[in-house]
Amino acid sequence: MREMSATTVTVRTPSLSGRRVVGRIVTYGLLVLFSLFVFVPLAFMLSTSLKTEQQLFVWPIQWIPDPVEWRNYPQAFVELGRIAPGLTFWRILGNTLFITALAMVAELVAVSLVAYGFARFRFPGRDTLFVVLLATMMLPGIITLIPTFIIWRELGLINTYDPLTLTAWFGGGAWAIFMLRQFYLTIPVEMEEAAVIDGANTFQIYSRIMLPLIKPALLALGVFIFQGNWNNFMGPLIYINTTQMFPLVLALRFFQESLSNEAPKWHYMMAMSTVMAAPILALYFAAQNYFLEGLTIGAVKG
Amino acid sequence: MPQMTAWQSYIPTFLRWVGVGGAMVLAMIGLTRLLQLLGVRREAATGYGLVLPWVLGLLIWTLYPFANSLYLSFTRFNIFQPPEWIGLENYVRMFTADSQFWLSLRLTLLYAALNVPLGIIGALGVALLLNQNVKGIGFWRTVYYLPAVLPAVAVVLLWRWMLSPTSGLVNFVLRPVYTLLNIQPLQWFTDPDLVLPAFVIMGMWGVFGANSVILLAGLKNIPHHLYEAADLDGAGTWQKFWNVTLPMLSSTLFYNVITGIIGALQIFVQAFFVDIPRRAGTFFNVLIYREAFSFRNMGYASALAWFLLLVILVITLLVMRSSALWVYYAGER
Repeated sequence: MREMSATTVTVRTPSLSGRRVVGRIVTYGLLVLFSLFVFVPLAFMLSTSLKTEQQLFVWPIQWIPDPVEWRNYPQAFVELGRIAPGLTFWRILGNTLFITALAMVAELVAVSLVAYGFARFRFPGRDTLFVVLLATMMLPGIITLIPTFIIWRELGLINTYDPLTLTAWFGGGAWAIFMLRQFYLTIPVEMEEAAVIDGANTFQIYSRIMLPLIKPALLALGVFIFQGNWNNFMGPLIYINTTQMFPLVLALRFFQESLSNEAPKWHYMMAMSTVMAAPILALYFAAQNYFLEGLTIGAVKG
Repeated sequence: MPQMTAWQSYIPTFLRWVGVGGAMVLAMIGLTRLLQLLGVRREAATGYGLVLPWVLGLLIWTLYPFANSLYLSFTRFNIFQPPEWIGLENYVRMFTADSQFWLSLRLTLLYAALNVPLGIIGALGVALLLNQNVKGIGFWRTVYYLPAVLPAVAVVLLWRWMLSPTSGLVNFVLRPVYTLLNIQPLQWFTDPDLVLPAFVIMGMWGVFGANSVILLAGLKNIPHHLYEAADLDGAGTWQKFWNVTLPMLSSTLFYNVITGIIGALQIFVQAFFVDIPRRAGTFFNVLIYREAFSFRNMGYASALAWFLLLVILVITLLVMRSSALWVYYAGER
């Protein structure tokens, strides 16, 4: 929004020569063309999710199906319940939110503490540890996957939500710690020094002074962690076997796999994909600045 | 399979989650106190206490598995019996006896080789357009970044449907072309020759928007006076692009190339949801997953994972080496 008002001012300056007008038209034309590349598949997904099976194969494509088949949405989950008893829409939503909420809370708490330690406290070995932290970002996840699976198996916790939620207490992603540390570094030290003089202990400084100050960064991080857990596929795929425990991703995959023998029911699959994408899209539109700023912090400043 | 009510699956995990969190806090406080008793400065002791969760995580969830997987890569291990040391056999088998290995390596490398440059060139184009003082830049940015936030599973299902040979949108649109050239509709994903292009198209949809947002931020960071100086020297649009924009943007481009390559070599979800014909191989992470969790060849899968790590390391190092030639850091002396 800020940029919008700023650019309006510059664009409104008069004296556009003919060549610049053509340039403008080409620029906007290309921008629209690229945005079609984004929107057409999405529109196709939405439109497919509202069609009857016969309408799927009609050419030219009916972008607004007639009649609009709203029933596909409940019906997709009825069909799913047919092949996976007990796996209702509410159960899937509960499973997904349960995993996401526990992982998100634990990771936010752990990351905000660890990043605070890296940003504000001097101790021998700190910089070495921080370099190690950055190096772990390069490590492909598949390397640690098998031994990690073996650890959880030894603990007897396969087919529980533990592998997906407990590890968040250990600080989660290195990227998250890095991002929050950068944010802590932008906060002036004077506030903490004043609090120390007033006799506040570390936890009081962290909870009363630092947390309110880093709230924007925490929100951005929360949005990213939510998105990461909501979209996470490999973790649930490896650790969850019981169908009733499936989060949305696995339910979608199960549905797709079970139906691939019969005729693929694309209208149902697109309905479920829309259900899966909708909360993320809503979150994205509500908090887009957090998404976009979080994305660029490592790339441009780091 | 047993029926599980929701509470049966939530409550035990929730209790253990609370337990681990509580234990973590106690460990942090305990370590700080202990270090202070041992005479460590208060600031340092608190620092160690604060970073403890990450250090524990590093040991338990990164370093130990890292070392363990190297060990496993020299063993035969099906998870039910203890691992059996077989030396280099897994690595020998990979290079000599596994036809899927070479096919998959080729497919994965080609995918990265196409996806990364195309994604970055496209993204650079969009970023340059957005940098032309366009109206409603917030709107465009939001639109282009949108595919990157969508769940990969939804994206891959959408594109399988888009590229469906009989009734997908792409083949519908191309139908006049097929009639004109008098050829059969393209069998995306099932024709071994078309697997790669199909994946590149799908991959582009996800990455180019995200990259363009990053590149746009990089463009906005270029100091305006450089362009003014170029204007005074009478530089044209192209000259400004080659001599100001590209050098000043090169460090951001470099970041995009590195993260792009690492991401492209590890593509998993997209490949997992598509049945690729065996003749085309598969993507490397899917190969590893299959060996480990479908065939229970944990040892061989670990060897494959280590090979992938080496490939990523070598490519990253090559790109970093080459960066001295093409990346310009303003702060470098």
